Amino acid sequence: MYSRGCRILIATLLAAPPLVGQTVGELRARADSLARDWRQANALADLQDTLRHLARRSGRDTIRVGALTILANTSPLPLQEAAAQAWPVIERLYGPAAQAIAEHPIVILAVDPDTAVDRPPVGPGLQVPWNLSVRDLTRLLQSRVDLGPVDPGLREWLRGSLLLRDDTARRRSMVYVQLVTAPSVAVRRCFLGAVAACRDALSLSEAPDILTRWYDPAERRALATRMYLSPAGAGQTRVLSCKSGNDSACLDLLESSPPARPLDYEARFTLVELALHVGGRDAFLRLLDANPRDVADRLAAVAGVGVDSLVARWLGEIRAARPVPADVPPLGTWVALGWMGVFAAFGLGSSRWRVS
Amino acid sequence: MFRVILYSQWKWSRFIIGLGTVAGFGLPILSVQSATRTGDHPLQAGELLQTIQSWGALYPVLAAALAVLVAIATWAPDHRGRHVHALTLPLPRWRYALLRFGAGLALLAPPVLAVLIGAGLATALAAIPAGLQGYPVALAARFALAVGVGYAVFFAISAGTTRTASAILLVIGALIVIQVVARVAAVDLDVVTRLQILLVNWPGPLAIFTGRWMLIDV
Repeated sequence: MYSRGCRILIATLLAAPPLVGQTVGELRARADSLARDWRQANALADLQDTLRHLARRSGRDTIRVGALTILANTSPLPLQEAAAQAWPVIERLYGPAAQAIAEHPIVILAVDPDTAVDRPPVGPGLQVPWNLSVRDLTRLLQSRVDLGPVDPGLREWLRGSLLLRDDTARRRSMVYVQLVTAPSVAVRRCFLGAVAACRDALSLSEAPDILTRWYDPAERRALATRMYLSPAGAGQTRVLSCKSGNDSACLDLLESSPPARPLDYEARFTLVELALHVGGRDAFLRLLDANPRDVADRLAAVAGVGVDSLVARWLGEIRAARPVPADVPPLGTWVALGWMGVFAAFGLGSSRWRVS
Repeated sequence: MFRVILYSQWKWSRFIIGLGTVAGFGLPILSVQSATRTGDHPLQAGELLQTIQSWGALYPVLAAALAVLVAIATWAPDHRGRHVHALTLPLPRWRYALLRFGAGLALLAPPVLAVLIGAGLATALAAIPAGLQGYPVALAARFALAVGVGYAVFFAISAGTTRTASAILLVIGALIVIQVVARVAAVDLDVVTRLQILLVNWPGPLAIFTGRWMLIDV
Protein backbone atom coordinates (compact mmCIF):
# COMPACT_ATOMS: atom_id res chain seq x y z
CA MET A 1 0.00 0.00 0.00
CA TYR A 2 2.70 2.30 1.06
CA SER A 3 4.89 1.42 -1.86
CA ARG A 4 1.94 1.93 -4.24
CA GLY A 5 1.24 5.38 -2.78
CA CYS A 6 4.92 6.23 -3.08
CA ARG A 7 4.97 5.15 -6.71
CA ILE A 8 1.91 7.29 -7.47
CA LEU A 9 3.53 10.30 -5.79
CA ILE A 10 6.80 9.84 -7.70
CA ALA A 11 4.89 9.37 -10.96
CA THR A 12 2.86 12.56 -10.30
CA LEU A 13 6.02 14.53 -9.56
CA LEU A 14 7.71 13.29 -12.69
CA ALA A 15 4.66 14.03 -14.83
CA ALA A 16 4.26 17.60 -13.50
CA PRO A 17 5.40 20.37 -15.91
CA PRO A 18 8.52 22.30 -14.88
CA LEU A 19 7.97 25.59 -13.04
CA VAL A 20 8.61 28.65 -15.28
CA GLY A 21 10.77 31.32 -13.62
CA GLN A 22 11.59 34.77 -15.13
CA THR A 23 14.79 35.34 -17.03
CA VAL A 24 17.33 37.98 -16.06
CA GLY A 25 16.27 40.08 -19.05
CA GLU A 26 12.63 39.95 -18.05
CA LEU A 27 13.50 40.83 -14.47
CA ARG A 28 15.56 43.81 -15.69
CA ALA A 29 12.73 44.94 -17.96
CA ARG A 30 10.28 44.84 -15.04
CA ALA A 31 12.71 46.74 -12.82
CA ASP A 32 13.23 49.34 -15.58
CA SER A 33 9.51 49.67 -16.02
CA LEU A 34 9.05 50.17 -12.29
CA ALA A 35 11.84 52.75 -12.23
CA ARG A 36 10.21 54.56 -15.19
CA ASP A 37 6.86 54.61 -13.40
CA TRP A 38 8.55 55.83 -10.25
CA ARG A 39 10.28 58.67 -12.11
CA GLN A 40 7.05 59.63 -13.84
CA ALA A 41 5.17 59.62 -10.54
CA ASN A 42 7.87 61.80 -8.98
CA ALA A 43 7.73 64.25 -11.90
CA LEU A 44 3.96 64.46 -11.59
CA ALA A 45 4.22 64.99 -7.85
CA ASP A 46 6.77 67.76 -8.42
CA LEU A 47 4.50 69.33 -10.98
CA GLN A 48 1.56 69.16 -8.60
CA ASP A 49 3.64 70.73 -5.83
CA THR A 50 4.71 73.50 -8.16
CA LEU A 51 1.17 74.20 -9.29
CA ARG A 52 -0.08 74.18 -5.72
CA HIS A 53 2.74 76.51 -4.76
CA LEU A 54 1.95 78.87 -7.64
CA ALA A 55 -1.73 78.84 -6.84
CA ARG A 56 -1.00 79.60 -3.21
CA ARG A 57 1.33 82.48 -3.99
CA SER A 58 -0.81 84.23 -6.54
CA GLY A 59 -3.29 83.75 -9.30
CA ARG A 60 -2.42 81.26 -12.01
CA ASP A 61 -2.55 81.72 -15.76
CA THR A 62 -2.78 78.98 -18.33
CA ILE A 63 -1.63 80.07 -21.75
CA ARG A 64 -2.30 77.86 -24.75
CA VAL A 65 -1.11 78.54 -28.27
CA GLY A 66 -1.39 75.49 -30.51
CA ALA A 67 -0.16 72.58 -28.46
CA LEU A 68 2.12 74.83 -26.43
CA THR A 69 0.79 75.02 -22.89
CA ILE A 70 2.28 77.29 -20.27
CA LEU A 71 1.31 77.40 -16.61
CA ALA A 72 2.46 80.54 -14.87
CA ASN A 73 1.67 82.85 -12.00
CA THR A 74 0.05 86.19 -12.82
CA SER A 75 2.71 88.73 -13.80
CA PRO A 76 3.59 91.31 -16.46
CA LEU A 77 5.69 88.66 -18.26
CA PRO A 78 4.65 88.84 -21.96
CA LEU A 79 3.92 85.12 -22.15
CA GLN A 80 1.02 85.35 -24.61
CA GLU A 81 3.09 87.25 -27.20
CA ALA A 82 6.12 85.01 -26.69
CA ALA A 83 4.03 81.85 -27.01
CA ALA A 84 2.39 83.23 -30.15
CA GLN A 85 5.84 83.77 -31.65
CA ALA A 86 7.32 80.51 -30.40
CA TRP A 87 4.58 78.13 -31.51
CA PRO A 88 4.82 78.61 -35.32
CA VAL A 89 8.57 78.01 -35.10
CA ILE A 90 8.10 74.90 -32.96
CA GLU A 91 5.45 73.57 -35.32
CA ARG A 92 7.63 74.23 -38.34
CA LEU A 93 10.64 72.53 -36.77
CA TYR A 94 8.92 69.47 -35.31
CA GLY A 95 5.95 69.01 -37.67
CA PRO A 96 3.08 66.83 -36.41
CA ALA A 97 5.30 65.59 -33.58
CA ALA A 98 4.95 69.03 -31.99
CA GLN A 99 1.42 68.10 -30.88
CA ALA A 100 3.04 65.86 -28.25
CA ILE A 101 4.23 68.88 -26.25
CA ALA A 102 0.67 69.40 -25.02
CA GLU A 103 1.44 66.53 -22.63
CA HIS A 104 4.43 68.41 -21.21
CA PRO A 105 3.25 71.87 -20.08
CA ILE A 106 5.94 74.43 -19.34
CA VAL A 107 5.72 75.75 -15.78
CA ILE A 108 6.98 79.28 -15.26
CA LEU A 109 7.29 81.27 -12.06
CA ALA A 110 7.69 84.94 -12.93
CA VAL A 111 9.77 86.65 -10.25
CA ASP A 112 10.62 90.21 -9.39
CA PRO A 113 13.95 90.99 -11.11
CA ASP A 114 14.98 93.56 -8.49
CA THR A 115 14.38 91.70 -5.29
CA ALA A 116 17.18 90.06 -3.37
CA VAL A 117 14.76 87.90 -1.36
CA ASP A 118 15.40 84.16 -1.61
CA ARG A 119 12.97 82.54 -3.99
CA PRO A 120 11.33 79.25 -3.15
CA PRO A 121 12.13 76.25 -5.34
CA VAL A 122 9.59 75.61 -8.10
CA GLY A 123 10.23 71.94 -8.81
CA PRO A 124 10.47 71.29 -12.56
CA GLY A 125 9.37 74.85 -13.35
CA LEU A 126 11.44 77.84 -14.42
CA GLN A 127 12.06 81.03 -12.48
CA VAL A 128 11.98 83.89 -14.94
CA PRO A 129 12.36 87.61 -14.14
CA TRP A 130 9.14 89.26 -15.23
CA ASN A 131 10.93 91.98 -17.18
CA LEU A 132 12.30 89.46 -19.72
CA SER A 133 11.82 90.68 -23.30
CA VAL A 134 9.44 88.94 -25.71
CA ARG A 135 12.42 87.86 -27.85
CA ASP A 136 14.29 86.24 -24.97
CA LEU A 137 11.14 84.66 -23.63
CA THR A 138 10.35 83.24 -27.09
CA ARG A 139 13.80 81.66 -27.23
CA LEU A 140 13.36 80.28 -23.74
CA LEU A 141 10.05 78.67 -24.65
CA GLN A 142 11.55 77.17 -27.81
CA SER A 143 14.40 75.72 -25.80
CA ARG A 144 12.02 74.09 -23.29
CA VAL A 145 10.12 72.00 -25.82
CA ASP A 146 9.95 68.47 -24.46
CA LEU A 147 8.82 65.76 -26.84
CA GLY A 148 9.76 62.91 -24.58
CA PRO A 149 12.96 60.89 -24.62
CA VAL A 150 15.07 60.37 -27.74
CA ASP A 151 16.46 56.86 -28.05
CA PRO A 152 19.93 56.24 -26.61
CA GLY A 153 21.53 55.42 -29.98
CA LEU A 154 20.74 58.81 -31.44
CA ARG A 155 21.60 60.60 -28.19
CA GLU A 156 24.94 58.82 -28.00
CA TRP A 157 25.80 59.77 -31.57
CA LEU A 158 24.62 63.34 -31.11
CA ARG A 159 26.25 63.64 -27.67
CA GLY A 160 23.56 66.03 -26.55
CA SER A 161 19.86 66.65 -26.47
CA LEU A 162 17.78 67.24 -29.53
CA LEU A 163 16.49 70.76 -29.03
CA LEU A 164 15.70 72.48 -32.28
CA ARG A 165 16.06 76.23 -32.38
CA ASP A 166 15.49 78.87 -34.98
CA ASP A 167 19.15 79.87 -35.37
CA THR A 168 20.30 77.68 -38.22
CA ALA A 169 22.45 80.34 -39.89
CA ARG A 170 24.45 81.00 -36.73
CA ARG A 171 24.99 77.31 -36.08
CA ARG A 172 26.11 76.68 -39.64
CA SER A 173 28.60 79.54 -39.39
CA MET A 174 30.01 77.96 -36.24
CA VAL A 175 30.37 74.65 -38.05
CA TYR A 176 32.10 76.41 -40.97
CA VAL A 177 34.73 77.67 -38.55
CA GLN A 178 35.11 74.14 -37.17
CA LEU A 179 35.50 72.68 -40.64
CA VAL A 180 38.28 75.13 -41.36
CA THR A 181 40.09 75.01 -38.05
CA ALA A 182 39.65 71.51 -36.57
CA PRO A 183 43.03 69.75 -36.39
CA SER A 184 41.85 66.67 -38.28
CA VAL A 185 42.76 65.33 -41.68
CA ALA A 186 39.22 64.00 -42.13
CA VAL A 187 37.73 67.43 -41.49
CA ARG A 188 40.15 69.13 -43.88
CA ARG A 189 39.36 66.59 -46.63
CA CYS A 190 35.67 67.03 -45.89
CA PHE A 191 35.95 70.79 -46.31
CA LEU A 192 37.65 70.24 -49.66
CA GLY A 193 34.67 68.18 -50.82
CA ALA A 194 35.33 64.50 -49.95
CA VAL A 195 31.93 63.17 -48.86
CA ALA A 196 33.41 59.95 -47.44
CA ALA A 197 35.70 62.05 -45.24
CA CYS A 198 32.66 64.05 -44.11
CA ARG A 199 30.95 60.80 -43.08
CA ASP A 200 34.03 59.93 -41.03
CA ALA A 201 34.27 63.41 -39.53
CA LEU A 202 30.59 63.35 -38.58
CA SER A 203 31.08 59.94 -36.93
CA LEU A 204 28.56 58.34 -39.29
CA SER A 205 30.84 55.41 -40.06
CA GLU A 206 31.85 52.98 -37.35
CA ALA A 207 35.06 51.65 -38.85
CA PRO A 208 37.51 50.10 -36.37
CA ASP A 209 40.33 52.28 -37.73
CA ILE A 210 38.32 55.46 -37.29
CA LEU A 211 41.07 57.15 -35.23
CA THR A 212 43.55 56.83 -38.08
CA ARG A 213 40.92 58.14 -40.48
CA TRP A 214 40.18 61.11 -38.25
CA TYR A 215 43.74 62.15 -37.46
CA ASP A 216 47.12 61.82 -39.16
CA PRO A 217 50.15 60.78 -37.02
CA ALA A 218 51.15 64.35 -36.15
CA GLU A 219 47.58 65.19 -35.13
CA ARG A 220 47.34 62.01 -33.07
CA ARG A 221 50.57 62.93 -31.31
CA ALA A 222 49.36 66.46 -30.58
CA LEU A 223 45.96 65.24 -29.41
CA ALA A 224 47.31 62.50 -27.16
CA THR A 225 49.89 64.74 -25.51
CA ARG A 226 47.23 67.38 -24.96
CA MET A 227 44.85 64.85 -23.42
CA TYR A 228 47.50 63.45 -21.10
CA LEU A 229 49.27 66.56 -19.89
CA SER A 230 50.32 65.17 -16.52
CA PRO A 231 50.07 61.38 -16.66
CA ALA A 232 51.14 59.16 -13.80
CA GLY A 233 52.66 55.68 -13.65
CA ALA A 234 52.62 53.55 -16.76
CA GLY A 235 50.74 56.23 -18.67
CA GLN A 236 53.75 58.51 -18.37
CA THR A 237 55.93 56.06 -20.31
CA ARG A 238 53.38 55.82 -23.09
CA VAL A 239 53.02 59.61 -23.26
CA LEU A 240 56.79 60.05 -23.47
CA SER A 241 56.93 57.39 -26.15
CA CYS A 242 54.10 59.10 -28.04
CA LYS A 243 55.81 62.48 -27.73
CA SER A 244 59.01 61.02 -29.14
CA GLY A 245 57.13 59.95 -32.26
CA ASN A 246 55.90 56.42 -31.51
CA ASP A 247 52.54 56.41 -33.27
CA SER A 248 51.34 53.13 -31.79
CA ALA A 249 51.82 54.60 -28.29
CA CYS A 250 49.72 57.60 -29.35
CA LEU A 251 47.04 55.28 -30.72
CA ASP A 252 47.07 53.28 -27.47
CA LEU A 253 46.56 56.46 -25.48
CA LEU A 254 43.73 57.67 -27.69
CA GLU A 255 42.01 54.28 -27.70
CA SER A 256 42.14 54.07 -23.92
CA SER A 257 40.01 57.18 -23.53
CA PRO A 258 36.58 58.15 -24.90
CA PRO A 259 36.89 58.87 -28.63
CA ALA A 260 37.87 62.47 -29.29
CA ARG A 261 35.62 63.24 -32.22
CA PRO A 262 36.98 65.88 -34.59
CA LEU A 263 33.66 67.71 -34.97
CA ASP A 264 31.45 68.67 -32.08
CA TYR A 265 27.73 68.52 -31.34
CA GLU A 266 26.87 71.52 -33.54
CA ALA A 267 28.13 69.80 -36.68
CA ARG A 268 26.07 66.65 -36.08
CA PHE A 269 23.09 68.72 -35.00
CA THR A 270 23.13 70.75 -38.23
CA LEU A 271 23.10 67.46 -40.16
CA VAL A 272 20.01 66.28 -38.23
CA GLU A 273 18.42 69.68 -38.79
CA LEU A 274 19.04 69.45 -42.53
CA ALA A 275 17.68 65.89 -42.67
CA LEU A 276 14.51 67.10 -40.97
CA HIS A 277 14.25 70.04 -43.35
CA VAL A 278 14.72 67.85 -46.42
CA GLY A 279 12.42 65.15 -45.07
CA GLY A 280 9.33 67.35 -44.83
CA ARG A 281 6.60 67.53 -42.22
CA ASP A 282 6.69 63.94 -40.94
CA ALA A 283 10.47 63.84 -40.74
CA PHE A 284 10.64 64.35 -36.99
CA LEU A 285 8.29 61.42 -36.38
CA ARG A 286 10.60 59.24 -38.52
CA LEU A 287 13.57 60.47 -36.50
CA LEU A 288 11.94 59.44 -33.24
CA ASP A 289 11.41 55.95 -34.62
CA ALA A 290 14.44 53.98 -33.42
CA ASN A 291 14.48 51.77 -36.55
CA PRO A 292 16.88 51.46 -38.27
CA ARG A 293 19.45 51.43 -35.48
CA ASP A 294 22.33 52.80 -37.56
CA VAL A 295 22.33 56.59 -37.38
CA ALA A 296 23.43 57.07 -41.00
CA ASP A 297 20.58 54.87 -42.25
CA ARG A 298 18.14 56.57 -39.97
CA LEU A 299 19.12 60.04 -41.17
CA ALA A 300 18.77 58.81 -44.74
CA ALA A 301 15.27 57.54 -43.87
CA VAL A 302 14.41 60.86 -42.20
CA ALA A 303 15.56 62.90 -45.19
CA GLY A 304 14.24 60.46 -47.78
CA VAL A 305 17.52 60.62 -49.72
CA GLY A 306 20.76 58.62 -49.62
CA VAL A 307 23.13 59.45 -46.79
CA ASP A 308 25.85 60.54 -49.23
CA SER A 309 23.47 62.98 -50.92
CA LEU A 310 22.45 64.29 -47.53
CA VAL A 311 26.05 64.75 -46.40
CA ALA A 312 26.99 66.41 -49.71
CA ARG A 313 24.09 68.81 -49.33
CA TRP A 314 25.08 69.47 -45.70
CA LEU A 315 28.61 70.32 -46.83
CA GLY A 316 27.26 72.72 -49.44
CA GLU A 317 25.07 74.45 -46.87
CA ILE A 318 27.94 74.76 -44.40
CA ARG A 319 30.31 76.13 -47.01
CA ALA A 320 27.67 78.67 -48.00
CA ALA A 321 27.41 79.81 -44.37
CA ARG A 322 30.89 81.30 -44.23
CA PRO A 323 30.83 83.88 -41.43
CA VAL A 324 31.56 87.51 -42.12
CA PRO A 325 35.00 88.03 -40.59
CA ALA A 326 35.03 91.80 -40.16
CA ASP A 327 34.62 93.04 -36.60
CA VAL A 328 33.80 96.54 -37.80
CA PRO A 329 30.04 96.82 -38.39
CA PRO A 330 28.76 98.03 -41.78
CA LEU A 331 28.38 101.62 -40.58
CA GLY A 332 31.54 101.45 -38.46
CA THR A 333 33.68 103.33 -40.96
CA TRP A 334 31.26 106.25 -41.03
CA VAL A 335 30.93 106.21 -37.25
CA ALA A 336 34.72 106.38 -36.87
CA LEU A 337 34.98 109.20 -39.43
CA GLY A 338 32.20 111.00 -37.57
CA TRP A 339 34.05 110.77 -34.26
CA MET A 340 37.22 111.96 -35.97
CA GLY A 341 35.32 115.01 -37.21
CA VAL A 342 33.78 115.67 -33.79
CA PHE A 343 37.11 115.59 -31.96
CA ALA A 344 38.84 117.61 -34.67
CA ALA A 345 36.09 120.22 -34.30
CA PHE A 346 36.78 120.34 -30.55
CA GLY A 347 40.44 120.95 -31.31
CA LEU A 348 39.67 123.69 -33.81
CA GLY A 349 36.88 125.27 -31.81
CA SER A 350 38.83 126.36 -28.76
CA SER A 351 38.77 130.17 -28.71
CA ARG A 352 41.90 130.72 -26.72
CA TRP A 353 45.60 130.09 -27.20
CA ARG A 354 47.15 128.02 -24.54
CA VAL A 355 49.56 130.41 -22.82
CA SER A 356 49.92 129.09 -19.34
CA MET B 1 51.47 127.71 -45.67
CA PHE B 2 50.48 124.03 -45.37
CA ARG B 3 53.82 122.89 -46.76
CA VAL B 4 55.69 125.02 -44.24
CA ILE B 5 53.66 123.65 -41.34
CA LEU B 6 53.99 120.12 -42.70
CA TYR B 7 57.75 120.52 -42.95
CA SER B 8 58.04 121.90 -39.42
CA GLN B 9 55.90 119.07 -38.02
CA TRP B 10 57.93 116.53 -39.96
CA LYS B 11 61.10 117.83 -38.30
CA TRP B 12 59.49 117.49 -34.86
CA SER B 13 57.98 114.05 -35.35
CA ARG B 14 60.12 112.29 -37.97
CA PHE B 15 61.64 109.94 -35.41
CA ILE B 16 58.18 108.79 -34.27
CA ILE B 17 56.96 108.47 -37.87
CA GLY B 18 60.06 106.52 -38.88
CA LEU B 19 59.72 104.09 -36.00
CA GLY B 20 55.97 103.75 -36.60
CA THR B 21 56.52 103.02 -40.28
CA VAL B 22 59.05 100.30 -39.54
CA ALA B 23 56.78 98.78 -36.88
CA GLY B 24 53.75 99.00 -39.17
CA PHE B 25 55.59 97.21 -41.94
CA GLY B 26 57.14 94.59 -39.69
CA LEU B 27 54.11 93.69 -37.60
CA PRO B 28 52.12 91.83 -40.30
CA ILE B 29 55.25 90.10 -41.57
CA LEU B 30 56.14 88.91 -38.08
CA SER B 31 52.59 87.76 -37.42
CA VAL B 32 52.69 85.25 -40.27
CA GLN B 33 56.29 84.10 -39.88
CA SER B 34 55.16 80.79 -38.38
CA ALA B 35 52.94 80.19 -41.42
CA THR B 36 55.80 80.76 -43.86
CA ARG B 37 58.23 78.41 -42.13
CA THR B 38 58.93 75.29 -44.15
CA GLY B 39 58.90 72.83 -41.28
CA ASP B 40 57.79 69.19 -41.25
CA HIS B 41 54.60 70.21 -39.47
CA PRO B 42 53.40 73.65 -40.60
CA LEU B 43 50.82 75.48 -38.51
CA GLN B 44 47.28 74.25 -38.90
CA ALA B 45 44.41 76.65 -39.42
CA GLY B 46 43.39 76.82 -35.76
CA GLU B 47 46.94 77.44 -34.55
CA LEU B 48 47.52 80.01 -37.28
CA LEU B 49 44.39 81.92 -36.29
CA GLN B 50 45.48 81.92 -32.65
CA THR B 51 48.90 83.26 -33.60
CA ILE B 52 47.39 85.92 -35.85
CA GLN B 53 44.97 86.93 -33.09
CA SER B 54 47.78 87.24 -30.55
CA TRP B 55 49.79 89.47 -32.86
CA GLY B 56 46.61 91.35 -33.75
CA ALA B 57 46.48 92.89 -30.28
CA LEU B 58 49.52 94.99 -31.23
CA TYR B 59 47.82 96.87 -34.10
CA PRO B 60 45.54 99.00 -31.87
CA VAL B 61 48.46 99.55 -29.48
CA LEU B 62 50.62 100.81 -32.35
CA ALA B 63 47.75 102.95 -33.66
CA ALA B 64 47.14 104.51 -30.25
CA ALA B 65 50.87 105.09 -29.60
CA LEU B 66 51.34 106.80 -32.96
CA ALA B 67 48.22 108.91 -32.42
CA VAL B 68 49.30 110.11 -28.97
CA LEU B 69 52.90 110.83 -29.87
CA VAL B 70 52.14 112.65 -33.12
CA ALA B 71 49.34 114.68 -31.48
CA ILE B 72 51.70 115.74 -28.66
CA ALA B 73 54.50 116.50 -31.12
CA THR B 74 52.07 118.63 -33.15
CA TRP B 75 51.41 121.07 -30.33
CA ALA B 76 54.48 120.74 -28.09
CA PRO B 77 56.69 123.33 -29.87
CA ASP B 78 53.79 125.82 -29.94
CA HIS B 79 53.22 125.35 -26.22
CA ARG B 80 56.94 125.70 -25.52
CA GLY B 81 57.15 128.90 -27.57
CA ARG B 82 53.99 130.25 -25.89
CA HIS B 83 52.32 130.41 -29.33
CA VAL B 84 54.28 133.52 -30.30
CA HIS B 85 54.96 132.18 -33.80
CA ALA B 86 51.30 131.30 -34.34
CA LEU B 87 50.15 134.70 -33.11
CA THR B 88 52.43 136.46 -35.58
CA LEU B 89 50.77 134.71 -38.52
CA PRO B 90 47.89 136.46 -40.32
CA LEU B 91 45.55 133.51 -39.68
CA PRO B 92 42.54 132.92 -37.46
CA ARG B 93 43.14 130.28 -34.80
CA TRP B 94 40.78 127.70 -36.26
CA ARG B 95 42.59 127.83 -39.58
CA TYR B 96 45.98 127.48 -37.96
CA ALA B 97 44.70 124.53 -35.93
CA LEU B 98 43.19 122.99 -39.06
CA LEU B 99 46.54 123.23 -40.85
CA ARG B 100 48.24 121.60 -37.88
CA PHE B 101 45.58 118.85 -37.80
CA GLY B 102 45.91 118.21 -41.54
CA ALA B 103 49.71 118.13 -41.37
CA GLY B 104 49.57 115.62 -38.52
CA LEU B 105 47.18 113.40 -40.47
CA ALA B 106 49.42 113.60 -43.55
CA LEU B 107 52.41 112.55 -41.46
CA LEU B 108 50.48 109.55 -40.19
CA ALA B 109 50.00 108.31 -43.76
CA PRO B 110 53.40 106.56 -44.07
CA PRO B 111 52.80 104.17 -41.12
CA VAL B 112 49.35 103.35 -42.52
CA LEU B 113 50.83 102.69 -45.95
CA ALA B 114 53.52 100.57 -44.32
CA VAL B 115 50.83 98.44 -42.66
CA LEU B 116 49.07 98.04 -46.01
CA ILE B 117 52.26 97.03 -47.84
CA GLY B 118 53.44 94.78 -45.00
CA ALA B 119 50.05 93.09 -44.72
CA GLY B 120 49.86 92.55 -48.49
CA LEU B 121 53.35 91.08 -48.53
CA ALA B 122 52.64 88.91 -45.49
CA THR B 123 49.49 87.38 -46.96
CA ALA B 124 51.30 86.74 -50.23
CA LEU B 125 54.16 84.97 -48.44
CA ALA B 126 52.11 82.94 -45.96
CA ALA B 127 50.91 79.42 -46.66
CA ILE B 128 47.26 80.06 -45.86
CA PRO B 129 45.28 76.86 -45.18
CA ALA B 130 42.13 76.15 -47.18
CA GLY B 131 39.12 78.01 -45.89
CA LEU B 132 41.12 80.96 -44.54
CA GLN B 133 41.70 84.24 -46.33
CA GLY B 134 43.95 87.25 -45.97
CA TYR B 135 42.42 90.68 -45.36
CA PRO B 136 45.30 93.15 -45.82
CA VAL B 137 43.19 96.02 -47.14
CA ALA B 138 40.50 95.71 -44.45
CA LEU B 139 43.20 95.55 -41.75
CA ALA B 140 45.04 98.60 -43.11
CA ALA B 141 41.77 100.54 -43.46
CA ARG B 142 40.88 99.76 -39.87
CA PHE B 143 44.37 100.76 -38.75
CA ALA B 144 43.99 104.06 -40.62
CA LEU B 145 40.65 104.76 -38.95
CA ALA B 146 42.02 103.90 -35.50
CA VAL B 147 45.03 106.16 -36.02
CA GLY B 148 42.75 108.93 -37.27
CA VAL B 149 40.29 108.72 -34.36
CA GLY B 150 43.09 108.43 -31.78
CA TYR B 151 44.92 111.37 -33.32
CA ALA B 152 41.75 113.51 -33.33
CA VAL B 153 41.07 112.71 -29.66
CA PHE B 154 44.58 113.56 -28.49
CA PHE B 155 44.83 116.55 -30.85
CA ALA B 156 41.70 117.99 -29.17
CA ILE B 157 43.13 117.32 -25.70
CA SER B 158 46.54 118.82 -26.60
CA ALA B 159 44.91 121.86 -28.20
CA GLY B 160 42.90 122.62 -25.09
CA THR B 161 43.88 124.86 -22.24
CA THR B 162 45.15 123.67 -18.89
CA ARG B 163 41.69 124.42 -17.54
CA THR B 164 40.14 122.03 -20.08
CA ALA B 165 42.59 119.29 -19.17
CA SER B 166 41.85 119.93 -15.47
CA ALA B 167 38.12 119.74 -16.12
CA ILE B 168 38.50 116.38 -17.90
CA LEU B 169 40.63 115.01 -15.07
CA LEU B 170 38.12 116.35 -12.53
CA VAL B 171 35.22 114.60 -14.25
CA ILE B 172 37.14 111.30 -14.37
CA GLY B 173 38.09 111.69 -10.70
CA ALA B 174 34.49 112.47 -9.74
CA LEU B 175 33.26 109.35 -11.53
CA ILE B 176 35.76 107.20 -9.66
CA VAL B 177 34.76 108.77 -6.33
CA ILE B 178 31.06 108.19 -7.07
CA GLN B 179 31.83 104.59 -7.95
CA VAL B 180 33.76 104.01 -4.74
CA VAL B 181 31.08 105.68 -2.59
CA ALA B 182 28.35 103.66 -4.30
CA ARG B 183 30.23 100.45 -3.63
CA VAL B 184 30.79 101.33 0.03
CA ALA B 185 27.10 102.22 0.41
CA ALA B 186 26.11 98.96 -1.35
CA VAL B 187 24.18 100.91 -3.98
CA ASP B 188 23.69 99.09 -7.28
CA LEU B 189 25.39 101.74 -9.41
CA ASP B 190 28.17 100.91 -11.86
CA VAL B 191 29.12 104.17 -13.53
CA VAL B 192 32.60 103.13 -14.65
CA THR B 193 31.46 99.98 -16.42
CA ARG B 194 28.60 101.83 -18.13
CA LEU B 195 30.99 104.55 -19.25
CA GLN B 196 33.43 101.95 -20.49
CA ILE B 197 30.65 100.23 -22.46
CA LEU B 198 29.64 103.55 -23.97
CA LEU B 199 33.20 104.30 -25.01
CA VAL B 200 34.39 100.96 -26.37
CA ASN B 201 31.20 99.45 -27.81
CA TRP B 202 29.79 100.54 -31.14
CA PRO B 203 29.02 103.34 -31.84
CA GLY B 204 31.38 104.60 -29.12
CA PRO B 205 34.43 106.66 -30.10
CA LEU B 206 36.97 104.01 -29.08
CA ALA B 207 35.10 101.03 -30.54
CA ILE B 208 37.39 101.00 -33.57
CA PHE B 209 40.24 99.95 -31.28
CA THR B 210 38.43 96.95 -29.80
CA GLY B 211 37.58 93.53 -31.20
CA ARG B 212 39.75 91.13 -33.16
CA TRP B 213 42.36 92.53 -35.54
CA MET B 214 42.83 89.64 -37.93
CA LEU B 215 45.13 89.76 -40.94
CA ILE B 216 44.03 86.21 -41.80
CA ASP B 217 40.59 84.91 -40.90
CA VAL B 218 37.84 82.58 -42.14
